[in-house]
Amino acid sequence: MRQRSLIAITAALSAGALTLTACGSRDSGDNGSDAKGGTTVTIGIDAPLTGDLSALGLGIKNSVDLAVKNANKKEYVKGVTFKVEAKDDQGQPSSGQQNSTAFVTDKSVLGVVGPLNSSVAESMQKVLDDAKLAQVSPANTGPGLTQGPDWQKKKVRQYKSYFRTATTDAIQGPYAAEYVFNKAKKKKVFVIDDKKTYGAGLAATFTDAFKKLGGKVVGTEHINPDTKDFSAVATKVKNSGADVVYYGGEYPQAGPLTKQIKAAGAKVPLVGGDGIKDDTFFKLGGPAATGDYATSVGAPVETLPSAKQFVADYKAAGYKEAYAAYGGYSYDSAWSIIEAIKKVVDDNDGKVPSDARAKVTAALQNVSFDGVTGKVSFDEYGDATNKQLTVYSVKDGAWKAVESGTYNGS
Amino acid sequence: MTGIGPLEPGEGTWAREPAEARPAPRPWRRRTLLIPATACAVLAAGAALWITRPRPAPPPELPFPAQTVTVTFLVGRSTAPHRLAFDVRLAVEPGPPLTVTRVSQPYAGMSAESEPRAPFRTAAGSSRVITVTMRVTECGRVPKNAALPFLEVTLRNARAIQTQSFILGPRYTRYLSRALGEACGESTPSSPKHPRRLNS
Amino acid sequence: MNELPQQLVNGLLLGSMYGLVAIGYTMVYGIVQLINFAHGEIFMTGAFGALTVYVYILPDGTSMWIALPLMLVGAIVVAVTVAVGAERFAYRPLRSAPRLAPLITAIGLSLALQQAVWAWYPEAKSARTFPSIPGGPFEIGNVTIQTGDVFLVAAAPLSMAVLAYFVMRTRTGRGMQATAQDPDTAKLMGVNTDRIIVIAFALGAAFAAVGSVAYGFKYGQIDFRMGFILGLKAFTAAVLGGIGNIYGAMLGGLVLGVAEALSTAYIADIPGMDKFGSQSWADVWAFVLLILVLLLRPQGLLGERVADRA
Repeated sequence: MRQRSLIAITAALSAGALTLTACGSRDSGDNGSDAKGGTTVTIGIDAPLTGDLSALGLGIKNSVDLAVKNANKKEYVKGVTFKVEAKDDQGQPSSGQQNSTAFVTDKSVLGVVGPLNSSVAESMQKVLDDAKLAQVSPANTGPGLTQGPDWQKKKVRQYKSYFRTATTDAIQGPYAAEYVFNKAKKKKVFVIDDKKTYGAGLAATFTDAFKKLGGKVVGTEHINPDTKDFSAVATKVKNSGADVVYYGGEYPQAGPLTKQIKAAGAKVPLVGGDGIKDDTFFKLGGPAATGDYATSVGAPVETLPSAKQFVADYKAAGYKEAYAAYGGYSYDSAWSIIEAIKKVVDDNDGKVPSDARAKVTAALQNVSFDGVTGKVSFDEYGDATNKQLTVYSVKDGAWKAVESGTYNGS
Repeated sequence: MTGIGPLEPGEGTWAREPAEARPAPRPWRRRTLLIPATACAVLAAGAALWITRPRPAPPPELPFPAQTVTVTFLVGRSTAPHRLAFDVRLAVEPGPPLTVTRVSQPYAGMSAESEPRAPFRTAAGSSRVITVTMRVTECGRVPKNAALPFLEVTLRNARAIQTQSFILGPRYTRYLSRALGEACGESTPSSPKHPRRLNS
Repeated sequence: MNELPQQLVNGLLLGSMYGLVAIGYTMVYGIVQLINFAHGEIFMTGAFGALTVYVYILPDGTSMWIALPLMLVGAIVVAVTVAVGAERFAYRPLRSAPRLAPLITAIGLSLALQQAVWAWYPEAKSARTFPSIPGGPFEIGNVTIQTGDVFLVAAAPLSMAVLAYFVMRTRTGRGMQATAQDPDTAKLMGVNTDRIIVIAFALGAAFAAVGSVAYGFKYGQIDFRMGFILGLKAFTAAVLGGIGNIYGAMLGGLVLGVAEALSTAYIADIPGMDKFGSQSWADVWAFVLLILVLLLRPQGLLGERVADRA
């Protein structure tokens, strides 16, 4: 009898724990609008809303919410009211896949914005593509997602339903290499990555381009993103004589990493990609982060009038979290879906057709509009045609734009 | 007492005297309130009108120069020892006119200039072909194998001056490494220690 | 090779933190044969206790000399409360249950504690910044010791000494030893075993709390998941040193930390091993070491071979 009650307690405790865990993945989306009649169309959001990367994820969620609110306010698509449905992937591919399945099942979802992580995108693409459900990522920079694993030799479009507004690492890595080698005049690099799709991919494109320019790679290291102790790596960096460190990864590790590298006595700047370009980076890194660089996709917000409008709207909407690195791209991603839906609905006498998903995906291929980040349209692989990049540096506790580039592949 | 209270005020249930029973405020007092109130309203309306007056120049925000320009690699023109030239198209979107104040490139061991010579103006909404000539000063230091070489163009419009890196894509990458190879005589590599300056 | 002294110091620092946490695993196991998987989370709550004292209780700009002891007290109070509460309400009712039941309870408790901090501690959904000790790093020869590590350097040996004194010299300590050897006989001899068990949990939690404050100073940030990996490592350290032996826990921690640092630094230099030398492989090498030690000495480095008590 006692035995049974003990088992019951254990079961209850475990169940309680599991329920609490489930809280982490519950839908924390607040709906973008109050329905005004007509058809309600849902735009799904998949991003890490909790955990280390939540600063970026919540920025994505809020920005999409803002786009949806604006579309509803303007009644941009007659007879259609948009709402958002945000799901948390915690940066985990498995959660991303579950969320995709949920989006596919919900018939009102006609487009998904997200995810943040390239590794999560890999697990979502097929599920969404099978359902012909359009997906626009504001943040994925892994080139393979659109151009196939062999993108360096032969580009093959992977999924017809996958698009992105962010620039790929195929450009970001080399762009960083050019900056580090020619402008910052650093010739000896120590390359570190976190072995994830994004980090390792970015580090590889950087390394390749840096070597081609004549730079020397004096050491490489792969860190374990679960730990916070990088002292052994930092000591290696110091003894390698590197004059710059390139880190392919994200800010939760980059912040402590730069701190520990400088503490070990290697007073060299750390350079990273868009994954470290968040204010959390120098909050975690402290004064050690001053002088570090990050390349990020897009032109600096202050040079784009459309972006200024976005910043003002975002402020006015009173979101608790910052729009972070991908805010503008998230708004544009959501807006591209809204544009595509508008086209489909307008072509169908103001009604949402029965095969709306396939039609939206097809329409997305041809959208073109002036967005927050400049002109938004997609090329034959689903990549953004507008490819701008900016080098930022940490100065006085903020990211300051250093210089910008525009890519034109034609 | 049920807590609902009397539905209809009966005799003696008035909490206090009804409003009618109160003596009317004396007229002068009402007027003393009215005058400043009207004055305030008039002032506020005036201020509002003044603030929202049609101003002649709330200048439409000009775009930054880099946002209005597209630079496309067209074709290589000529290659000579230590010298190469190619064409790019500079397309300017409708809007403010734009001046190119400088064309340069970031690599050590070479220099760039443009024809027409910078600074030159380009009308908005038009496009023109520019020939860029690069001189190699030190073959040992040129990026014969750069992954994403770019051209730096300093642009100016009424809004700002910006130096933008234009990454001209894979065609330019292939062209540049081939042309640099030719310009430096792939078979007879010049010693980086004794850079020969050629003035063609 | 001039990297070696620094890498050794890196490893020893990391290892002494593992050791501080490992003591909790080893003491609880030694007395009740329970692997308290929630110990990593007790460590985590300790860090949040210290943060609470610094951020929400002390006035802004309190000198670190005053703040540090108070933070330590806060960490210990929170961690000990959680641990004693866990013992009283989660483990004690299961004391005569099959061994699996408390083990699963421990895992459930670990998840529950993580999620509770995640859900209810302000802004704990991502990492929170921990205060830092002011001042520059110390250079001894070509070895650098960070200011944040100084606390660890001082606290780890001191805690160890206090623990050794307590276990060896005090009445309660001897009671613990007796209970560990044979709980039933100890009870017959008049040792209050219930009290001893509570003390074991509390002591383990206190050391974990010291470790958690050291963690905060060392890395400058804490988060609700910090106890998971560290707990696993500390458990490994306890097994490596011989579970049940408190000196073994400390030694196991140090060996594990040094192994991680050295494998990160040097494995890649062995010809043909460059693929397996990075930090992401350090854990693998640490476990290879664990397996080797357990093959040669199944009882761990300092463990005594004892017949398994059913």
